[in-house]
Amino acid sequence: MKYLDILETRLGRKATKEEIEAFTVMWSEHCGYSHTKGYIRRLPRVGTGGNAGIVALDDYHFLAFKVESHNHPSAIEPFNGAATGVGGIIRDVLTMGARPTAILDSLHMDRIIDGIIEGISDYGNSIGVPTVGGELRISNYYKHNPLVNVMAVGVGKNEHLIQSRATTPGQVIVIFGGATGRDGIHGASFASEDLTGEKATKLSIQVGDPFAEKLLIEAFLEMVENGLVDGAQDLGAGGVLSATSELVARGNLGAVVHLDRIPLREPDMLPIEILISESQERMAVVTSLKKAQKVLEIARKHLLFGAIVAEVTDNGRYIAKYNDEVVLDVPAKLLEDSPEEEIYDYKPSPMPKFKWIRFKDVDAHDVFERYDYMVGTDTILPPGFGAAVMRVKDSSNSVGYSLSIHSRADIGAQDPYWGAYIAVIESIRKTLSVGATPLAITDGINYPDPDIQPLGLAAQMAGLKDACEYFKVPVASGNASLYNTYKGKGIPPTMIIGMVGKVENLNIHRPKRGPIYAVGFPDFNMERENKLHNEIVNLVKSGNFVLSMHDYSRLSTFNKALSNIGLTVKIDVPRTEPVHQMIIVFGEPKTTLPTRKIGFCF
Amino acid sequence: MSLPKAQVIVYPGSNCDRDALWACKYVGFDAEFVDIHSDVNADLLVLPGGFSYGDYLRVGAVAAREPIAQKIRDFANHGGLVIGICNGFQILVEMGLLDGALLQNSNGRFISKIVELEITDTSTPFTNYYLKGERIRLPIAHGFGRYVKTREVNAVLKYTSDINGSDEFIAGIVNSNKNVFGLMPHPERAMEKLLGSDDGLRVFLSAFNYIKNHGGVRA
Repeated sequence: MKYLDILETRLGRKATKEEIEAFTVMWSEHCGYSHTKGYIRRLPRVGTGGNAGIVALDDYHFLAFKVESHNHPSAIEPFNGAATGVGGIIRDVLTMGARPTAILDSLHMDRIIDGIIEGISDYGNSIGVPTVGGELRISNYYKHNPLVNVMAVGVGKNEHLIQSRATTPGQVIVIFGGATGRDGIHGASFASEDLTGEKATKLSIQVGDPFAEKLLIEAFLEMVENGLVDGAQDLGAGGVLSATSELVARGNLGAVVHLDRIPLREPDMLPIEILISESQERMAVVTSLKKAQKVLEIARKHLLFGAIVAEVTDNGRYIAKYNDEVVLDVPAKLLEDSPEEEIYDYKPSPMPKFKWIRFKDVDAHDVFERYDYMVGTDTILPPGFGAAVMRVKDSSNSVGYSLSIHSRADIGAQDPYWGAYIAVIESIRKTLSVGATPLAITDGINYPDPDIQPLGLAAQMAGLKDACEYFKVPVASGNASLYNTYKGKGIPPTMIIGMVGKVENLNIHRPKRGPIYAVGFPDFNMERENKLHNEIVNLVKSGNFVLSMHDYSRLSTFNKALSNIGLTVKIDVPRTEPVHQMIIVFGEPKTTLPTRKIGFCF
Repeated sequence: MSLPKAQVIVYPGSNCDRDALWACKYVGFDAEFVDIHSDVNADLLVLPGGFSYGDYLRVGAVAAREPIAQKIRDFANHGGLVIGICNGFQILVEMGLLDGALLQNSNGRFISKIVELEITDTSTPFTNYYLKGERIRLPIAHGFGRYVKTREVNAVLKYTSDINGSDEFIAGIVNSNKNVFGLMPHPERAMEKLLGSDDGLRVFLSAFNYIKNHGGVRA
């Protein structure tokens, strides 16, 4: 009831039933980031802001990327929960004006849950975006709360970069895509709760339609190429309400939304249901009245529904109407302005001596051979060798980018600060190991209950901030999933780091026959870390294949990847501490770091 | 003489259309996209991979009944070269231009990996740059690739082991005139060593040079 009091104080009156529904969605943790936005503001950031992070790739192209969780839906309905997770994050990248080019997924579960794998596979494969990498962590920690975090990446041309806001009164907002039904109503609020709550039913789960998503991608990109899109926002959590109010609130504007114009799948929906339905595969486009007809034409051509549903106004009010009846009339800014929870300063303690909490060794090929990782013909380094490497086909100077997703929940369970910090460091090493330079991070915060354990969240966020500052890798986007608890018991703080890097030489080294060395130190000392980074860069430059992992006793996936290219390794696995500074190098290494021959590749 | 011309048919839900266009251009075709309402005007028609109409009905079934289907049939009957890759193969089978059926993989799952194949017929316009019995590696990525024979067919490409339960390990076939080729593996994904294999390059080169040497059927 705390937030209801805040709402009524700000409104200066009692809230209506519709307002309570609307603000329940918009001020949910999932939409409003109440517990994390204070921490996020402190991070070193890069990019334009908006639906996905943006970094420049070369003079002509930008990368758009973001990680997003779909933990709660996947726990209740694995197939559709995971599938719509892919769909949502793909649209986040798309709205920036980028063609989605890659998916990575970070999966934490107690066993391989077939429905989740199938959901990601079915959706990603159908829309023609390759799943090029990921991490698969099997542990009992995630028995009741599987974590499904999906990262999407897209490449766009600079002249096509789209802002996530309306800019002038008189603009209109077109919503196009699939028709609207009752699915996913209050999905955002459900995703912000303990899973034992009465809302943990399938009614809150959205249902995916990958065919509609594929059509939506092509239709939207055609609109962008024709200069018809002045601003865009996808419809995800919070549906029409969230998308249209964010578009105008970011531009300090208002809107009149006509709910009666929205194409429906279920004709008897209440206005408030239309407003907050989380039906998938929909997009909001800000355009001029004149260009709107062309937008609708393109939507129709791609077999999609579309309608002009809102006018942008200058009075800052968000008014939702059904015919002449006013359903909602509130300041647009108020919807965005979710209450902020107190944040805590965290003073890190020196790195303790960690104990090994080993996750199960599984060959991830069982999972990623169900994902199309080659469609698009830009995947230079397939899954299993470390970070994925992609190229940009139409760039004259053969530029590429590396992608990785990585976490250290085993460390996070012992110290949330260092769990986040080490995940950043190791992501940098993975990026350097494929010859790339780190560009930026997208962070996936996965946490138990911040009201019961506020300090762990503070520690996790401080670890992320300190690592990003120290190693000068900014954060471009992120996502927070809190309340990953079941009957009050939660997951370990799991900070997932998605990293993009720039690749200037696409002739990526692959493992070759010859001697294999362990290079570096079995323990960790911060003073040595930058030196290790430099040495990785030099080794890659001199032609070595470098493998950078946190647990070299977990080599099933790598071994299978090798056997797929006709190679086998016989090595004496180097023993390390859980946090170490050891890399594995194929070929004679020229380095000043300690080296030890551990075996052969043949 | 003008360059051999290829048209890549983009069905709603196709997703290897851009890869196929790239492959055609890579070997020298003057290549363009066409949609289901377009006219056929080419020496080579490519039906690309993907999930036409989401494959919500039987795979390829809806696409096989689009307005362009009759134009493809006429083109093929006049001797024009047609290649259907993955979903394109499924569409050609649904159209009746190729015999047999494509069912769900025997393990019930989508399979995405690089597999070894044997070239069993080099007398077609699509495979004459290969050696008979040559073993090549091509990517596959499909959920419904189990080829089932309904009568004797002219197999051109076979898996060297049981990948998806296909009869006789069949991966690709041609019609009796050898101008319509359907295959589940993706040659357009194996055009450059940079991506791991260039074993698919010769499918497109064979077709390109066949058209150059024999002339196309384009009006």
